[in-house]
Amino acid sequence: MKSTAVNLSSKSKSFLEDLRVYLFSSGKNSDGIESIVEELEVHLMEAEKKGKSIDNIIGQSPKEYMDQISNEMTTDYRSWFKYIVIIIFGAFSFTIINDLFKGNLSYSLLELIGHVCIAAIFILGIFSAFKYVSANNISRGKEFAIYYVLGMLPLGLYIGLIFFNRIIETPVIQFGTTWTNITAIITFVFLIAISWWARSWVVIIILALLTLPDYLLSQFALHDDTQLIVGTLISFGGIAVYLFITSKMSKFD
Amino acid sequence: MTTTQMMKGILDGCLLAIIKDKEVYGYELAEKLEGYGFNSFSEGTIYPLLMRMQKEELVTSTLKKSTAGPKRKYYSLTRKGEQELINFMERWEYLKGNVNRVLNHEAKND
Repeated sequence: MKSTAVNLSSKSKSFLEDLRVYLFSSGKNSDGIESIVEELEVHLMEAEKKGKSIDNIIGQSPKEYMDQISNEMTTDYRSWFKYIVIIIFGAFSFTIINDLFKGNLSYSLLELIGHVCIAAIFILGIFSAFKYVSANNISRGKEFAIYYVLGMLPLGLYIGLIFFNRIIETPVIQFGTTWTNITAIITFVFLIAISWWARSWVVIIILALLTLPDYLLSQFALHDDTQLIVGTLISFGGIAVYLFITSKMSKFD
Repeated sequence: MTTTQMMKGILDGCLLAIIKDKEVYGYELAEKLEGYGFNSFSEGTIYPLLMRMQKEELVTSTLKKSTAGPKRKYYSLTRKGEQELINFMERWEYLKGNVNRVLNHEAKND
């Protein structure tokens, strides 16, 4: 937000942020969201200058007010679709890059369908959680618990998928060398495009830190345990250092 | 029934009438309503109404810079909005007349 938001009370500021998240998770167009949030910001600023509190302005419950606003906005399915595609491909690219180091790709039908389903469940989960958290006044602890469960959800589902993939036979799709290469190129182009679009290299850097150490270490004749421990240390140590540096850098901006 | 429930629908017409007088932005609009005596409603309710009126092309908006802070969104009536205001005034006259007759009549018979 712009510097003008500084003049607002913290209650109003957090209401505007919540409204933004709520509308975003309801699939509203980002220009429309920006427009109404800015309009309300002007209103709240002027009202607060006259000593009125936000309760006089949005009345009832914040959730009801957010719903009223939301109902007047058209749902932008195209941008929803965009996020869904990005998240599904993003999830795929992690798996694909990991598997590329092991040679040609091959996936069972169950794995392919499973990946899409898990991504879809995760997206629905995230959007509902955002909507719920932004519209209801809940404690920090509860909010953390919701995101924690949500974060564990794909992990649990992936473990389930790996398990079922072992006991249920479905046709396996073998990617030959050509198709593996094509998939690799598409994945890299996608990752670069996403990073360029988001103006952030975080995905590529974390992906590299997660996959490269294991691969490079496997080139040396190390003991399996040593490789696992060193690999994990480099991966998570690297991610920690990266996050530390970026947070330092963003403070100087 | 509370005033707020009765206000729904009527508020639309009032907004149109205020906007017709002069191009206004949201906060100004709320203040004017208050100035006319509407002080029991939460000011924020005008925004969903304005959004709908804009979708129905009764009003248009333009952003204008202000010295005090972020840009303000000013509303003005479209031709369709002006027609809607005329319709509202007719409906209101009709309602007002009927309601008054009912109330006065009851008062007489008491």
